[in-house]
Amino acid sequence: MGRFKNNKKSRVIVKPIAKKNQEDVSHVTGDKIPKSFVFSRMKLAGPVKQLQMDLRKLMLPYTALSLKEKKRNTLRDFLNVSGPMGVTHFLMLSKTASSLSLRVARTPQGPTLTFKIHQYSLASDIAQSQLRPRCPQDLFKSPPLIVLSGFGSQELHLKLATIMFQNIFPAIDINTVKLSTCQRLVLLNYNKDTKLIDFRHYSIRLQPVGVSRRIRKFVQNHQVPDLRNLQDVSDFVTKAGYGSESEGDEEAATVTLSSDLGRVNKGATKSAVKLQEIGPRMTMQLVKVEEGLCTGGIIFSEYENVDGKKEKLKKKQDDEEEEEEDSEEEGEEGSEEDGEDMDEDFED
Amino acid sequence: MSTGEEGHMAMADRGSRKRRVGVKKGTKAARNKKLKSKPSSSDRFKVTMKNQKLFQKRARDYNSDEEEEEDESKKQPEVTIREKIFSDANMGPNYEEIEEEDGEDNDENSDGEDHGEIESGITKFATDGCNAFKIAFKAIMKKTKGDDTLGPVLSAHKHLIGEKLAEEEAEKKAKGQARKAKHLIAEKGHVKPESYLDSHEKILIGVATKGVVKLFNAVNKAQHAQKGLNPSRSKDAKVLKKRRKEAFFSELGKTKTDPKAQKSEEEAPAWAPLRDNYMLANPKLKDWDKNQETKEGDDFAAMSGDESYED
Repeated sequence: MGRFKNNKKSRVIVKPIAKKNQEDVSHVTGDKIPKSFVFSRMKLAGPVKQLQMDLRKLMLPYTALSLKEKKRNTLRDFLNVSGPMGVTHFLMLSKTASSLSLRVARTPQGPTLTFKIHQYSLASDIAQSQLRPRCPQDLFKSPPLIVLSGFGSQELHLKLATIMFQNIFPAIDINTVKLSTCQRLVLLNYNKDTKLIDFRHYSIRLQPVGVSRRIRKFVQNHQVPDLRNLQDVSDFVTKAGYGSESEGDEEAATVTLSSDLGRVNKGATKSAVKLQEIGPRMTMQLVKVEEGLCTGGIIFSEYENVDGKKEKLKKKQDDEEEEEEDSEEEGEEGSEEDGEDMDEDFED
Repeated sequence: MSTGEEGHMAMADRGSRKRRVGVKKGTKAARNKKLKSKPSSSDRFKVTMKNQKLFQKRARDYNSDEEEEEDESKKQPEVTIREKIFSDANMGPNYEEIEEEDGEDNDENSDGEDHGEIESGITKFATDGCNAFKIAFKAIMKKTKGDDTLGPVLSAHKHLIGEKLAEEEAEKKAKGQARKAKHLIAEKGHVKPESYLDSHEKILIGVATKGVVKLFNAVNKAQHAQKGLNPSRSKDAKVLKKRRKEAFFSELGKTKTDPKAQKSEEEAPAWAPLRDNYMLANPKLKDWDKNQETKEGDDFAAMSGDESYED
């Protein structure tokens, strides 16, 4: 009850999307469906505001698309609102003169990952650079898949990042999932040499393979072909068309669908998976992992000096209070209890 | 139509009158009416020789002063006198600034009108006998025409205005620079992609495609295998479960041979309990996990443990 006192003084104006569609628990897995808030604590200007909007669209449908925050809303307000609404993750953007950073945190007490964004491109930039930008209508109606690569399983902060990202998006059950709902994909690729994470957002498209180009275009686009120069319809159907250069890549990307997917891709025939980029593109670097929600002990920090000093200070303070903190070293995972057991596990 | 004609007639009739009732003297409206009424009258009456000459002279009005002088002076002497009186009275507030030219005030009044009006204003004063005025005024007008951006300003004020303008420009420059710097900071890190697919992007798309293909194949296998069986029948349900497990293990088995870096691709899109980190992330279940599993790769034990735990 004490937690809710703040609501009277400073109200958070939160407008979530239509509640009737939201479920808290997924039928399939029995887990809670993770929901998120994307916001920023300070007033953003220009392209960063667009980036925030792009991120919100990315997290659809389980996010608040038209979330409005005021200056006087503190983090505590968001926390208070997130409880009853079942929001599990916060994504916070903040911009200073030198850097732009994204913090991914798990409510209510979860760890916070801080990423520094080195470069970013907006969804509109990417659409401009493409010849045929593609955005079908129900693209944002189902949550995206997530693919993580290059993270490895050695370093703990990377492991934590992996877990965090996997949990942001709801899980899918391969036995019952409909392939028509898998329309988007988020890719996080970690590069060990530069320690940078590439963040990309794609839309998935299936194209039947083995059909000549002209017939495929005719069926897909409903464009009536030009039959002026042909004597017979059979010429149109059987003429060998030239192949595009991407058809070679399709060989590797061929899947056999289990069911019909739209008019064109029939079940039990081969189709190729084609990805087209939508949405923001970011290059980020993990700089800090904190235990609490933007507070708490620093588990990992990119800049060693800061970490070392803070660690020592913390140790002195906590020596009197808790003994768990004693054994805390850099390579520890964020979860709380059984500190010594965890040590044994991960020092291998 | 009829009223329009009447009005026209009225205007024409009034054009012949020298004095106009109800119209202020010396105002723009008066001068406009004077000019307008005459052309309208020409529409109505026949073009006689006398009128023709008149019109030709008027056409030349706009180009030269002298003819106009003569014309105007013949026609409306009273009006000009009245105008002069009016403008004299009007000169009050501006009189200190501009000492020499009385015509200045009239000029300011008629500033917005066309050249003909200004000329007629000048010539009116001139016909009153002040030729000197006319010359002086014209000289000043010529001088101020070639002036710089400041326009017709007294020399004493020129410096002040010059300073003020310079100040404003400097301010604008400073503001512009500040704005530019702010803009740069705001745009920091924002990169617009010039070409859509360069090699790095192609690599990334390839990685993502591989992940999707694996997932779709796994889905296909899982769903295809259970097509034939009816999930409601309990006997079949067991077979279903067994098949599911086996199919998934075989899929996992394939991916284990891949290099470890790619292993994590399989984890992510799968069913929650099938992720390797499922048990590890949940601290309550960790201890149970510790006994049975030593390495990550030992999925069989973990999975069977998972299954039993879940049920």
